[in-house]
Amino acid sequence: MQRAPYGRRAVDVLGALPAQESPPTYYQRPALKASEWRWLIITYFFVGGLAGAAQCIAAVADVFGKRRDRQVVSIGRYLALAGALISPVCLIADLKTPSRWYNMLRVYRSTSAMNIGSWTLFAFGGLSGMTALGQMLDDLFDLPRARAISRLLGIPAALVGALLATYTGALISATATPLWATGYRLLPALFGASGTSTATAMISLFLHRMHASHASIRRVERLALVAGLLELILSQQLDRLWKQEQVSAPLDEPPLAMPYHVGATGLGILAPVSVHVLQLVTGRDFATASFLASLSALIGGYVQRAVIILAGKQSAERPTDYFRTSM
Amino acid sequence: MSAPVFPAAVPRRAVELGSETVLGGMFRDEAELTADVHVAPGTKFGFFTDTTLCIGCKACEVACKEWNVLPADNIGLTGNSYDNTGALSATTWRHVAFVEQVGGATTMQAFQSNWLMMSDVCKHCARAGCLEACPTGALFRTEYGTVVVQQDICNGCGYCVPACPFGVVELGIEDGHAHKCTLCYDRLKGGLEPACAKSCPTNSIQFAPLDELHERARDRVADLHSRGVESAYLYGVEGQDGSPGSTGGIGDLHAFFLLTDRPEVYNLPSRPTLPSRRVFPGLVRGLATMAGVALAAAVLFRAD
Repeated sequence: MQRAPYGRRAVDVLGALPAQESPPTYYQRPALKASEWRWLIITYFFVGGLAGAAQCIAAVADVFGKRRDRQVVSIGRYLALAGALISPVCLIADLKTPSRWYNMLRVYRSTSAMNIGSWTLFAFGGLSGMTALGQMLDDLFDLPRARAISRLLGIPAALVGALLATYTGALISATATPLWATGYRLLPALFGASGTSTATAMISLFLHRMHASHASIRRVERLALVAGLLELILSQQLDRLWKQEQVSAPLDEPPLAMPYHVGATGLGILAPVSVHVLQLVTGRDFATASFLASLSALIGGYVQRAVIILAGKQSAERPTDYFRTSM
Repeated sequence: MSAPVFPAAVPRRAVELGSETVLGGMFRDEAELTADVHVAPGTKFGFFTDTTLCIGCKACEVACKEWNVLPADNIGLTGNSYDNTGALSATTWRHVAFVEQVGGATTMQAFQSNWLMMSDVCKHCARAGCLEACPTGALFRTEYGTVVVQQDICNGCGYCVPACPFGVVELGIEDGHAHKCTLCYDRLKGGLEPACAKSCPTNSIQFAPLDELHERARDRVADLHSRGVESAYLYGVEGQDGSPGSTGGIGDLHAFFLLTDRPEVYNLPSRPTLPSRRVFPGLVRGLATMAGVALAAAVLFRAD
């Protein structure tokens, strides 16, 4: 019938509300209930995004980079496994009845992003465990057969990892919260790009620490640049959309304005992108700057998830924002 | 000229029992006696809340709390007219909203003394945001077409809370499960009318099969229009064009309302949308982004 989820339409008998007029409210009381998600979910969004993207990077580096980038592959796979172990702990700890965590895998419900996510994380855990085991056997005993199995399992693991890095955006979009709901076309893509940024940052930190070849580090940092630029474009689009829909107030006002602009955008995107561009243009490697860029990308990535979750909680409690986007 | 406002003035079974002086033992199918409704599985039941009949007595709130053994909450004054309940919550499944319209009192149409009162409740949507979001299947569609949280399955993930387009569901802090109106699932099982509808002294809350309620509600709107209350309209009936509230894929609200002002005045959205519709379009774009990143990575790792 009507395609667009939003628009200023009439209640037949009352006529349309003039465009310049704000909708009335009921004593300014919230019309929605905010989610109760806290730092555990914020941490999971960050860790899950990083782990999913790390698995993707490892698979691509394995298939296309061959043995040359084997350190990237092995770090990526261990990071994916670490993420697959931390994630369920965060999620279960956040449940109000943690002893019933297994009910998450009781049904399959394609309309529930959280159910899709539960199965995704379940599959990701299994595949990441096996891939990392093969990788470990290869790293320790140099077994070509283990390497082949890892490469084979790495592909489905990467596909599930891509879903893991993005579905969290769909999860928050599929709510009535105005800030999240209006961004439904962009949030999963933004989380995917941000997951890649943080994964490349973490991998490059480990590469530095392991004194890996400069060429390997450079390739990972080029990928970080691509992800950072993508993230910049998506976050700017999302920012414009939120302003247009008049739901951006929680991000424009204290206490979240500062972490949003300085933390998520500045530290998370602009700082690392600047360093990577500088390295690309000058053709030189700045070890300290590159270390700081990775650190900054990780901090910014975490702040971004935190700001979006916390701003959403405020957004849900602003009735005018909700009524304006559902007229 | 005008259609009857109430169903049958006296339910059929009440007439039959009227001659008996002693009503011994338990009634079977008590709803036949109180609402002229035979409760049977397979039929969609619902509430029609006619706000033009509400007098703000809060009997529904009390009856609901009593039957469902819900604790008292918010012992205090909100300053928002006579609404000291505030909102629907884990422990409040009926909430009477009070809107005092005093501005321009001399020019307003003399109607309900310019007081708007509405007994709000879970809408039991045809496609329910909470139910579609629930990852455990704890929220399910009953044989009466209503939406209920199975307390022995809910693990308190809290996703249904922001997923409800009407802000109904809430997590109980005491037991860690989601709670909301069950449309008295237990009473329906026993052939009883839901507590709020049974207690409503003005029949503002009516309980019946949804089809019957729709018919009754349309007649009531036509009646009000003919009496000069032209602002009356239905909220939450999908019908031919779709009334406010039943928009964006949500469909019929099994608990729907007759309102006389904008939905927002009663704290209801004009055009809510079904949240689960946003899962797929976003995911596709997200995965496309990851495919693009993987392609870039492939090019980068292949080059030297």
